[in-house]
Amino acid sequence: MKTDNKLKGRDLINVGIYGAIYFVILFAVAMLGMIPIFLPLLSVLVPILGGIPFMLFLTKVKKPGMIFIMAMIMGILMLLTGMGPWPLLTCAIAGLLAEICFKSGEYRSAKKAVLSYGLFSMWIFGNYLPLFTDYEGYFAQRADYGQAYIDAVQKLMPLWMAPVLLIACFVCGLLGGLLGRALLKKHFEKAGLA
Amino acid sequence: MAYSSERSQEARRGFLDPRTKLALVLVLAVFVMGGLGGEALRPVKTILSALPFALLLAERQWKRFARGILMLGIGYGLLTVMPFLPRALNYLALLCGGILTRFVVTVVMGEYLIATTSVSEFISAMERLRMPRAITVPMSVMFRLFPTISAEWKSIRRAMRMRGIHLGGAKASQVLEYQLVPMMTSTVRIGEELSASALTRGLGGPTRRTNICRIGFRAQDAVLLAGCVFVVGVWILELCGVRLW
Repeated sequence: MKTDNKLKGRDLINVGIYGAIYFVILFAVAMLGMIPIFLPLLSVLVPILGGIPFMLFLTKVKKPGMIFIMAMIMGILMLLTGMGPWPLLTCAIAGLLAEICFKSGEYRSAKKAVLSYGLFSMWIFGNYLPLFTDYEGYFAQRADYGQAYIDAVQKLMPLWMAPVLLIACFVCGLLGGLLGRALLKKHFEKAGLA
Repeated sequence: MAYSSERSQEARRGFLDPRTKLALVLVLAVFVMGGLGGEALRPVKTILSALPFALLLAERQWKRFARGILMLGIGYGLLTVMPFLPRALNYLALLCGGILTRFVVTVVMGEYLIATTSVSEFISAMERLRMPRAITVPMSVMFRLFPTISAEWKSIRRAMRMRGIHLGGAKASQVLEYQLVPMMTSTVRIGEELSASALTRGLGGPTRRTNICRIGFRAQDAVLLAGCVFVVGVWILELCGVRLW
């Protein structure tokens, strides 16, 4: 069967539906990041929980471009929710890598789907970038949270955490992908959604 | 008399153009919530913070206005009582107060955008901004779905609480599975119905959609957009000033 590779209205609407679920989960978890100890843990929790809607999303992806659009929309939403322009950049890169990876599995391979979600998850690192690129400035902007908060975050986030967080995003993305696949088999296939 | 007459559209027309609202959300998110800019921007930020509340009043959104004011009041209240509290509570009050006073304003602005903009208005504004369809269609679906998802999630949480599945009552993994999975299932189903109805009405068709929504810039838009430009201008000048010194 030859498929038309142009994105149709339905594909774009699907991006919107799964993007909305992914973003709601992301947002609910990100609220925890207000507590200092959870700030580095976000790179663990968000990829794992986000894996559930994303793996469901990948079952609808049959054409090139959908993953990339999803990533760019996350970038735009991060801009609108005050995370600055850095996520746009990481979203573009991570989205592209994820797209290429899933395409190489002809949009069917389950293993490639998990790997693709791991790559996609690396966009989350963009949210930490303002902290690492401008260490002093970041804390100056948050002075009104109190010295105790700043001390706690500085202790948790030394500069060498940057690569650790990036790797954590990727590895937990893989875990989230596996979790998503397990739930897909257990629930969504039965419900006729996947 | 007909619903789609020019006059009834004019009557339903919002106070602001959706593009202005979007620009305001962006400016508030970057400067008030993101905390960009230094001393020179402080008075500007105060005026910016009052803006969403004024807009809610202008659109007669009393409930949202009251809720926003209440949250902001709690935030400032915490900051005022903070010095009199014992040490552990002191830290907590400062953190909560700092977060509330920083976030509420932008959240209120976002609520205002979503509450007062219909999907058609949003799409037609995006089209006039020449945004590619690949971005506008998913974005408008998302804005339409956010309230639905939160309503669904709320009722699912209530139902699961009845079965004793809630944080503190059951294992975290169980809570996750039995709350997230139904939430997603029902959202996807609602989304599919939405997509069927949207496709019937020609969303995603090959030709440009026409629209009877009345949007466009008026005096109030011009004033507020000028305000946005002014804020960015002050910030850039501040940046240059720092380097010049």
